[in-house]
Amino acid sequence: MSLASPLLSVAGITKRFGGVIANRDISFEVFAGELVGVVGPNGAGKSTLFEIITGFYAPDGGEVRLDGVRLTGLSPDRVSRLGVGRTFQKLRPFAGLTVTENVMVGALQKCHEVSRARQEALEILGHVGLEEKADAHARTLSTGQRKRLELARALATRPRVLLMDEVTGGVDQRSIPGLVALVRQLHADGLTVLLIEHNMRVITAVCQRILALHLGQIIAAGTPAAVTRDPRVIEAYLGQVYV
Amino acid sequence: MRTVAPAVVFFALAGLVPLVVRDAFLLDAVVLILIWGASAAAWNVAGGYAGQVSLGHSAFFGVGAYAAALLATRWQLSPWLGLVVGALVATTVGLVIGYLSNRLRGPYFVLATIAFSQVLLIVGSRWRGFTAGSEGIPVPFRPGFWTLGIADKRVWVWIILALAVVVYLVELYLERSRRGYQLAAVREDEDAALSLGVPARALKVAAIAVSAALTAMCGALWAQYVGFVDPFYVFSVDLSVRFALAAIIGGLGTALGPFLGSLLVTTLETYLRAQFGGIGAGFVGIYLIIYGVILILVVRFVPAGLTGWLAARGTRRAAAGG
Repeated sequence: MSLASPLLSVAGITKRFGGVIANRDISFEVFAGELVGVVGPNGAGKSTLFEIITGFYAPDGGEVRLDGVRLTGLSPDRVSRLGVGRTFQKLRPFAGLTVTENVMVGALQKCHEVSRARQEALEILGHVGLEEKADAHARTLSTGQRKRLELARALATRPRVLLMDEVTGGVDQRSIPGLVALVRQLHADGLTVLLIEHNMRVITAVCQRILALHLGQIIAAGTPAAVTRDPRVIEAYLGQVYV
Repeated sequence: MRTVAPAVVFFALAGLVPLVVRDAFLLDAVVLILIWGASAAAWNVAGGYAGQVSLGHSAFFGVGAYAAALLATRWQLSPWLGLVVGALVATTVGLVIGYLSNRLRGPYFVLATIAFSQVLLIVGSRWRGFTAGSEGIPVPFRPGFWTLGIADKRVWVWIILALAVVVYLVELYLERSRRGYQLAAVREDEDAALSLGVPARALKVAAIAVSAALTAMCGALWAQYVGFVDPFYVFSVDLSVRFALAAIIGGLGTALGPFLGSLLVTTLETYLRAQFGGIGAGFVGIYLIIYGVILILVVRFVPAGLTGWLAARGTRRAAAGG
């Protein structure tokens, strides 16, 4: 038993869309410094869960707390200002702005001075390996670079916990190792991460603990080794693609 | 960071015109270029920087014009006070429209703004007891700066220029400040902006309210300059289109763009009016056709507007020269 209280706690989250139950009584906790993965086949409810934690969807039941502060019922911008960062599965760069300006918008959340925000943005671009693209327009980036940009933008808000949706989704095979190394580095630097990931190899490589979702419910939780051996997980998800 | 040098040149030239030009027709053209430029720039605060395209901004212009005219005729108060009252009323109206912008997106928002200006047109033209109805209000000419009874068009150039510079500075703030960057993020992608902690709804409403207040100030001064407020003109869709058009032609979301757009459109219109004005009713609306043609050409060939086109030319020349 750990004496520390969880950084992020999700308790009994339920979400219905008409007759479909996307999330059914989901509860879990993330402690400071952890890197937790969420896996599950398409339609398992992973993204819905993210939308609820970040305030974009209102749940039909349950609540989310960050360090004891209730997030449920707050607007997405409030949730962000309280310390929950996120990236989007379908990437959403500010296409008309430059790469630096994109990241500055994140930095300006806490920094009220534009020139300082620009400095911070350039530093973060260095961390994610986009410094040479600093003055390019966001619309000119490749998918892999856009993923890095989204990460940089979210990191610039200095989140207490970062939710990443499909970091390697839609990226060509050669770019994946670099992105995985980046996530690892961020975690090693102390960032708490909740990661949705389709790619089972990626998630078993970087996560200490994973949650498996199926039809809106958590069907298994634990170390990657334990979860990937769980017969329900194999049946629901791994059976077809990860023998 | 974008340079302000062209703007300094533009405004300095406008300020120097009265020193060398005495011709009333030319001075009138400069006043109109500046007032329509300032109105378009005020529109740009909402339509360009915040991405909230409105075709009902004549509502704010009309509110400003009526506020100044009514205060002067009914209560013998200074039109400067009317300018302030008009801006305050327009801000309130702008908050309502801004609230709508959080409920309605894209074309639905545009339609709502048109409807709003038409509601004010009906109020202005039917509420005879207060607004004098469809006859309009002749603004009394009481000589003096405080009463804005100024016959010298050179002084008008400077008065309107001051307002134009104020609106330009608001635009500049939106290009360089924290709030400006956040507003640009909202315009580009509202959900992504929210995810970064940007208070998107409040910013949009604020941008529309500020845009409304500035547009009302233009309306208030215009009423004093022209000396007559006609509800069918100040609340017209034509006028709203003019603001949007000058901003789009000049370059959406650029600070000087609306003034360059106004320079082109107003000059052309003044010229055409002078050319075809006397011939007969058949040519009265010809400037509308010309507007349409220009708009199509700009959107087709220089979608970034005059400002974008000039910037691209500048870059090319610099590349060729260096």
